Amino acid sequence: MRRLRGIGIPGAILIAVVIFFVWEIHNKGWTLFFTLLVNGLTLGSVYALIALGYSMVYGILKLLNFAHGDVYMIGAFMGFGVLSLLGGALSPSVNVWVLIALMFAVSMLGSGGLGVVIERFAYRRLRDAPRIAPLISALGVSFLLQNSALILFGSRYRDYNTFDLVGFGGIHIGDVFIWKMRIFVVASAVALMIALTLFVARTQLGKAMRATSFDREAAAMMGVNVDRVIASTFFIGSALAGAAGVMFGLAFGQIFHFMGFLAGLKGFTAAVVGGIGSIPGAMVGGLLVGCVEAFSQGYANGNWSDLIVFGILIVFMLVRPTGLLGTRAIQKV
Amino acid sequence: MKKTAGIILLVGSLVAALAVAVATASTGRVGGVASTAAPAAETASCGKTMAIGVAAPITGAASSIGVQQLHWAQFAVSKWNKSGARPKFKIVQGDTQLPNVAEAIKVAKTFASDKRVWVVAGPAGSQEVQDSFASYKAAGLAFISGSATRTSLTDGSRKGYFFRVVPNDDVQGPTVGKYINGTLKAKHVYIIDDQETYSQGLATTVSAYLKARGVTVDRDSISQQASDFSSAIAKIPGDVQVVYIPWQLSAQAQAFGQQLKAAGKSAKLFGSDGLFDPSTFKIAGSYDSFFPVDTKAKDVVAYAKAHGGNADFFGAPTAAAAGVAMLAVQKACADGKITRAEVRKNVATTTITKSKSILGLTVHFTANGDLKGGAFGVYQIQTNGSYKRIG
Repeated sequence: MRRLRGIGIPGAILIAVVIFFVWEIHNKGWTLFFTLLVNGLTLGSVYALIALGYSMVYGILKLLNFAHGDVYMIGAFMGFGVLSLLGGALSPSVNVWVLIALMFAVSMLGSGGLGVVIERFAYRRLRDAPRIAPLISALGVSFLLQNSALILFGSRYRDYNTFDLVGFGGIHIGDVFIWKMRIFVVASAVALMIALTLFVARTQLGKAMRATSFDREAAAMMGVNVDRVIASTFFIGSALAGAAGVMFGLAFGQIFHFMGFLAGLKGFTAAVVGGIGSIPGAMVGGLLVGCVEAFSQGYANGNWSDLIVFGILIVFMLVRPTGLLGTRAIQKV
Repeated sequence: MKKTAGIILLVGSLVAALAVAVATASTGRVGGVASTAAPAAETASCGKTMAIGVAAPITGAASSIGVQQLHWAQFAVSKWNKSGARPKFKIVQGDTQLPNVAEAIKVAKTFASDKRVWVVAGPAGSQEVQDSFASYKAAGLAFISGSATRTSLTDGSRKGYFFRVVPNDDVQGPTVGKYINGTLKAKHVYIIDDQETYSQGLATTVSAYLKARGVTVDRDSISQQASDFSSAIAKIPGDVQVVYIPWQLSAQAQAFGQQLKAAGKSAKLFGSDGLFDPSTFKIAGSYDSFFPVDTKAKDVVAYAKAHGGNADFFGAPTAAAAGVAMLAVQKACADGKITRAEVRKNVATTTITKSKSILGLTVHFTANGDLKGGAFGVYQIQTNGSYKRIG
């Protein structure tokens, strides 16, 4: 009893949830479990890429860029634009995989550029303002993008029609069927995450980003062009969001002007759960949130899905505000 | 520094939590009675152009249906004005941002205090009707919904103020249940609502109907903003013959149908009136319930031509609502004077004949504001994507 008291209410809830899932797996079998795992990893890959943008920007500016989810939405529409321009899913004018590569390239470049423009006009002047100012500005940019998309693209859902594009084929592992686009999405996300990790660890700009994140003023004094580093961070984070938007369209089909709202919040949750400011944390957080969403959808009623995901956000804020892989900020005195 | 970072994260989390709360507040009751000085009893002279309000979710998560409703209302007004009938009409728009019910109340209050507005077409959602009723009543405004189907809305407590041009869940639900049980002879049915009042009401009605006849029914729920249905699909048992999805967004149904096929499940989809959209929901072999509308009617074709080939059927009843509103105002203006009370009385007695109604049925109301004699047909989606009436 004393031990139970020691782990507290969040711990007790966590244990209850784990027992529930173990019971459900026992009852419903491993096929469902692995199917949900694949679903969770697909969704989690998208969240992880969104979370990376949140985390990178927060790491350098201590800014929660709430417009990030809408950059992801714009990225999805850019990918759709390329798809439509090149004949659509039913009659593409180029090879399917070339088309998909072009969708990624245009979306990533376009979203990256959009991120740089947002930073330049909505955040740069507020860099030394009270912290609440850029946060409000971010919300303003979010609404601006959302409503611009509503005016530009209309309220109608757009369909990537991926099944027409690549077919229903996939692989069977035992009784578990994995659609090939899911494999492609997870593999692409992993490749982008590895590329980002290598970029940050091994390039000059990556070093500058780490230095700026550690201490912006000191980095500037050491000759780092902080403005350029921040703009680059926005470019990379937004490009990843653009890629996530295309992946979402390819894997799940439907895109619309409001899609960035919830996805952005889940990306933010993933970043916080993983440890905001930490790149590996964002990846782990994204995959975790995706899996939690898939498992709660699969084992409990769908009504519980978002409740559980955002419940995790609250629990982490209370129990471990630094997230899974985050570190405590050094207190300057 | 640590403290600042903590505060930022906390503020961010609160903003996120608040945003989620607002976005998912569709079932949360928001109180508030109109406090505006409503011109309920004011008499005014009729002008050459009169205004009606249109309350619909023009922006926000449900804008894809709200814009359809607005477009159909605009179509009805434009057709009226071109016909030479007098007075002419214009629309005052109110964006209810469904599922944010607080916005629907704000719109109701705005209309209440707007002396130009004599009657309102809308709002879209049953919860919006329920929560904004007090504001409409205080201002003496009649409001006619083109999509709120919760049965209890016309239990008599909103008599004389609220009207709807769509049959309620007690009409559609049994029609669907009867077809699934009687014609399709399904023994195991899976019902998934989209967490909105409209959807939950229909799901409950159909579920009760089928259970009472010995059909095994499983229930699940999916957010209206979801696009990934794979996890919900994964748990649908293999012996399920029909998956009933009383949703509002046809694009979601299309994605669901594709993902169902990709998962190798052979169950048939059965949608509701909210999914009647041949331009989007095209899963061949699926069923759908809708009004006995003639999809080749002149007005439907004209509307589709003006809107990129999309007939936007979900919004069509709002054209009927706008039609009732305009007729009621026209009648009130016969003597050159108008009051909201007069318009309310006229709405209750207005009739649009079957031949002039876009819905394929006569529009007139019961004493409590329900559509009198409402009926639903059952359609099946053909391999070429067209909808064929089969029941």
